[in-house]
Amino acid sequence: MANVVMPQLGETVLEGTVVRWLKQEGERITLDEPLFEISTDKVDTEVPSPAEGVLERILVAEGQTVPVGTELAIVGTGESAAGEALSEEVPRMAAPAESATEVPAIPAAPAAPVASAPLGTSAAAEVPTPPPAPAVPESVSDDAGTEAGERLPDRGPRSAILSPVVRRLAREHDVDLARVRGTGPGGRITRHDVEGAIVVGNVPPDGESAALSAPEAAPAIAAEPPPVAQAPPSAVTPVASVSTPAAPSSNEPAVTRPEAPVVANEDEEVQPLSHLRRAIAGHMLQSTQTAARAWTLVEVDMERIVRLRERVKEAFAAREGFKLTYMPFVTRATNEALLEFPMVNAELRGQDLILRRHVHMGIAVSIDGGLIVPVVRNGDEMNLVGLARAIDDLATRARGKQLQPDEVHGSTFSITNPGAYGSLSSLPIINQPNSAILSFDAIEKRPVVVDDAIAIRHRVYLSMSWDHRVIDGAMATLFLTRVKEHLETWDWDEDLDHG
Amino acid sequence: MTTAMSSQTGAQGGPGEFAGLTPELLVDVLYKLKLCRYFDERMESLYRQGRLPGAIYSGRGQEGTHVGAAFALQHDDSLFVTHRDLSAQLTKGLELKRVMAQFWGRIDGYTRGRDGNSHIGDWQGNKTFTVVSMLPDSYPVAVGAALAYKRKREPNIALAICGDGSTSNGRWHEAINVSAIHQLPVVWVVNNNGYAYSTPNELEFKVATIAERAAAYGIPGVRVDGANVLEVYEATAKAVAKARTGGGPTLIESVALRWRGHAGHDAAKYVPKETLEDYQQNKDPVQRFERLLLDKNVVDQQQVDDLQARIEREFTEGYDFAQASPLPEAGDVVRGLYAEDGYWSSEPGRAGGTG
Amino acid sequence: MSQTAKQVEAGAAGHGAEPRGKRTDAGEATYLVAIAEAIWEEMERDERVYLLGEDIGVYGGAFKVTEGFIERFGTERVMDTPICEETIMGMAVGSAMEGMRPIAEVQYADFIANGFDELVNVAGKYHYRSGVPLPMVVRGPSGGGVRASSFHSQNPEPWFAHTPGLKVLCPAFPSDAKGLLKSAIRDDNPTIFFEHKWIYRRIKEIVPEELDFTVPIGSANVRREGSDISIVTYGAMVHKALDAAAELEHKGVSVEVVDLRTITPLDTETILRSIEKTSRALVLYESHRFLGVGAEVAATIAEDAFQHLDAPVMRLAPPNVPVPFSPALEDAFLPDVADIEQAVDRLAAW
Repeated sequence: MANVVMPQLGETVLEGTVVRWLKQEGERITLDEPLFEISTDKVDTEVPSPAEGVLERILVAEGQTVPVGTELAIVGTGESAAGEALSEEVPRMAAPAESATEVPAIPAAPAAPVASAPLGTSAAAEVPTPPPAPAVPESVSDDAGTEAGERLPDRGPRSAILSPVVRRLAREHDVDLARVRGTGPGGRITRHDVEGAIVVGNVPPDGESAALSAPEAAPAIAAEPPPVAQAPPSAVTPVASVSTPAAPSSNEPAVTRPEAPVVANEDEEVQPLSHLRRAIAGHMLQSTQTAARAWTLVEVDMERIVRLRERVKEAFAAREGFKLTYMPFVTRATNEALLEFPMVNAELRGQDLILRRHVHMGIAVSIDGGLIVPVVRNGDEMNLVGLARAIDDLATRARGKQLQPDEVHGSTFSITNPGAYGSLSSLPIINQPNSAILSFDAIEKRPVVVDDAIAIRHRVYLSMSWDHRVIDGAMATLFLTRVKEHLETWDWDEDLDHG
Repeated sequence: MTTAMSSQTGAQGGPGEFAGLTPELLVDVLYKLKLCRYFDERMESLYRQGRLPGAIYSGRGQEGTHVGAAFALQHDDSLFVTHRDLSAQLTKGLELKRVMAQFWGRIDGYTRGRDGNSHIGDWQGNKTFTVVSMLPDSYPVAVGAALAYKRKREPNIALAICGDGSTSNGRWHEAINVSAIHQLPVVWVVNNNGYAYSTPNELEFKVATIAERAAAYGIPGVRVDGANVLEVYEATAKAVAKARTGGGPTLIESVALRWRGHAGHDAAKYVPKETLEDYQQNKDPVQRFERLLLDKNVVDQQQVDDLQARIEREFTEGYDFAQASPLPEAGDVVRGLYAEDGYWSSEPGRAGGTG
Repeated sequence: MSQTAKQVEAGAAGHGAEPRGKRTDAGEATYLVAIAEAIWEEMERDERVYLLGEDIGVYGGAFKVTEGFIERFGTERVMDTPICEETIMGMAVGSAMEGMRPIAEVQYADFIANGFDELVNVAGKYHYRSGVPLPMVVRGPSGGGVRASSFHSQNPEPWFAHTPGLKVLCPAFPSDAKGLLKSAIRDDNPTIFFEHKWIYRRIKEIVPEELDFTVPIGSANVRREGSDISIVTYGAMVHKALDAAAELEHKGVSVEVVDLRTITPLDTETILRSIEKTSRALVLYESHRFLGVGAEVAATIAEDAFQHLDAPVMRLAPPNVPVPFSPALEDAFLPDVADIEQAVDRLAAW
């Protein structure tokens, strides 16, 4: 008899989700034949059977997330070779299987999974708060032997129901459903939940980017002061305004994990986080834990653009059906500069730097209950009017929640515009996996010295948060200066004439 | 056979000895009678040999009604019949070879394989209604056609044939009633063959004859001997002329036994042997007409033999044509449901093979 | 025959005696007036079009749809028949075979059962077997909610939707009724046009007056856009669905309402597109739930939109009993706005 346990695939992985059993109870299985699929923070994979024999019992149902080392199933005595195979396999699986060889069902008191797991790395040892709420592993132990579906108190059997559209969207967009919390009755994951996960980009598209969010960095970041303490006051300011949660600091945001009930005081009100909110929280936190963020500010004279806009805005609105804002100007200037500074448009993927021939510009849009960053694809090929149209279209549909999942992925750089809400200057969080984000704040009339005289001019602060792992200060400043030059000197009429 | 079937029938002849038909036309009538008889017999043989798929509905013994009635029609007059009345359709002008292609489910059949056996029609060519099994479904339809002729001031008429069995159905009443109310150009022919499938006249209606029901609709009713093709023809021609000139409908009851069962599988044991023998020996419309023409020297034996040889040759040609005609293409099964898909206005696919 | 289009002043509503009402000054027409206009205009346009049915001429029809027609078009084109539905249908077939374009009226859709055989066994199969087009329309007032009980309230559309070769139309709005009926009259196939009698005088709207205004057969219409749940329905239930959708909007549920308009040929594309958008389908219909029109719609969604579903397809339709008379019973029988809201709630909570 062999016990099948949740393997530890990666030294920092603490838990895994059983996605699918490939065999049913009572079915025969051979050594190394795929037995089940798991999903962990690092990797999704099939797990081969540690022994030959009969799958006697499944102890953890599909969809459940359990700590590494938890017993998942029992493969009963089959051919004589099974025992041999077991003893070879088990150590690698890091499970207390030896002692279980003769035990008919579940060991009465398996070693505490986390503690017994060979988490030998220093990073893991320094995890500041205990990993997952203790309720989960405890309940698994206590409930061992009961119906598998009842294990997690938070999620009833309905949470295991994956509707056709949920399966399809998850497949098409590489969504790890184990990380999506269902808001439907009984914890069922609805289409809305998956779309939220896709749209906000909380879902790593592949194993590599999951690695970017790996917990190795967590202790260091957690030791820092909250990174956005001086964020602009308005909660609606996107990107920059997300205040840091009280760092749960496990490898993934705690928001996707069942938690102990929240106790509120009488003068408090408990409002569960929406999926969007949870996703934003996770995404922002992940960014702060990932990037080596630095920040640079320049001031730009917008007088020419303000006057130009005053001159053409009525005709433009009449022709195009929407207002001409400053965003397309800034986007256009930024796109051009990004082509000149490919590092600012790059992505750090593992140990490699990914450079792009095009700019896919993420535009932060404030929507009900959060923000979303739709992407203007190949924006570097568009002129001012083309960008204006694309931005208006995306923003309008974003507010109408009509964006396609494809439209919120794949940005190479992002711009946020808290200035629309009056901010003077902002410190945005980088939209992962970008290397930088530009903030465009409020345009104001300010007294400035022009030709040794004091003049009143429309001015704006342009600032950029950038990832020091990729970009250095000189480059960041040169880049911003180039954006500034474009904004101050370009002949925009040509763009407007060729709308 | 003591009621309707056994009553006296009209005398032979009429205005002129041969109902006004020229010798040429008389030979044509003989040809049609013999063709229909031969076709009916040969198809039954093929059916019994297992060489003919589907079903057959023999009209043998009723050829006098079929040929006599249909022969009274012009080309643009329309004909609405039952599956028993294929001989009437052949008389109206349907091509034997295409009729045979229909029996074998071939693309050259009039329904392109969508229907079989005598569920046939050729509206576009010979103005015959494609037969519907439920009886008499064609009667109300004939009213509609007749209504159209009247409305459009066209000189055409509609003629519908059904059997005695149909007369028990409400539609029969409805149709005749409406046609009478509106004086429509239609001729109603009932071939009273004594049985509705197996049910005899006594269990079908209480009146002595079907013809006398006409009075209830306010239209003329006549009863003719179905064994006498000229009598049927003459009565029909008169009714057709009346209808064509605005005189309204006529009900014609033509009495002729069906020699075979309702369908190929029916041995018709419900028909008394003596009755059948009487009809076959004394009231065979084909034999009787052939004998008449020979006796009156309208034809000689050589002509009759030549006719027979021609018919057998045509049958063989029709058979060969049918076998060589492709089956419909399976992929076309969903086409032609609605008018707009163009299936019926285009040449059919011929790649269905000949099975 | 030549069919010269003649100028029609405001369609049929512009003529003589009109107890059925006419357009408002603003140009609104009831469903009933819109239907009358469609017939009137097509009769003006095409001499081949004629009417036949019971009490449609001198009396003007049981619901007065054809009131005034006999004065304008005469007894030849407005034919009062005896009570003989089988022959009315058969005559429509026969005259259509001869190139006329009959519009047969059954006084109540329920009575179409008396003419069933000619429609199902003759008309539906005829073109497939012969290639002879049958440009004919059969109209009849269908549907319940008017306390008319089991012989004057039925929804026979599934009977005919199940018959190949017939087209079945069930409009819900005056404009659709007019446009679809005109399309049906111009169509070369036998078409069954069910007029929901509950809508006749209840619903009015601005109806196009252009003589060539038509609505294509086989085209459903998204009557209300929404993002959370699709209600796929037709006939009077469209109005119930729209009322429910308005209520549900206050509760934060965004309901899309798809009005089938045509039952056969069914516009599956529009249905599926809506489900792809919302992932949840409530199929609402007034014909009996068991094997009703919505059963086919539900099956289509389950089969062809499976990958887009986030919840099982749900049906809401009357139980499999005759339409009862007593208000207490009929109200229990017919889906109403509260039923729809409850069904949507159940679906939303799945």
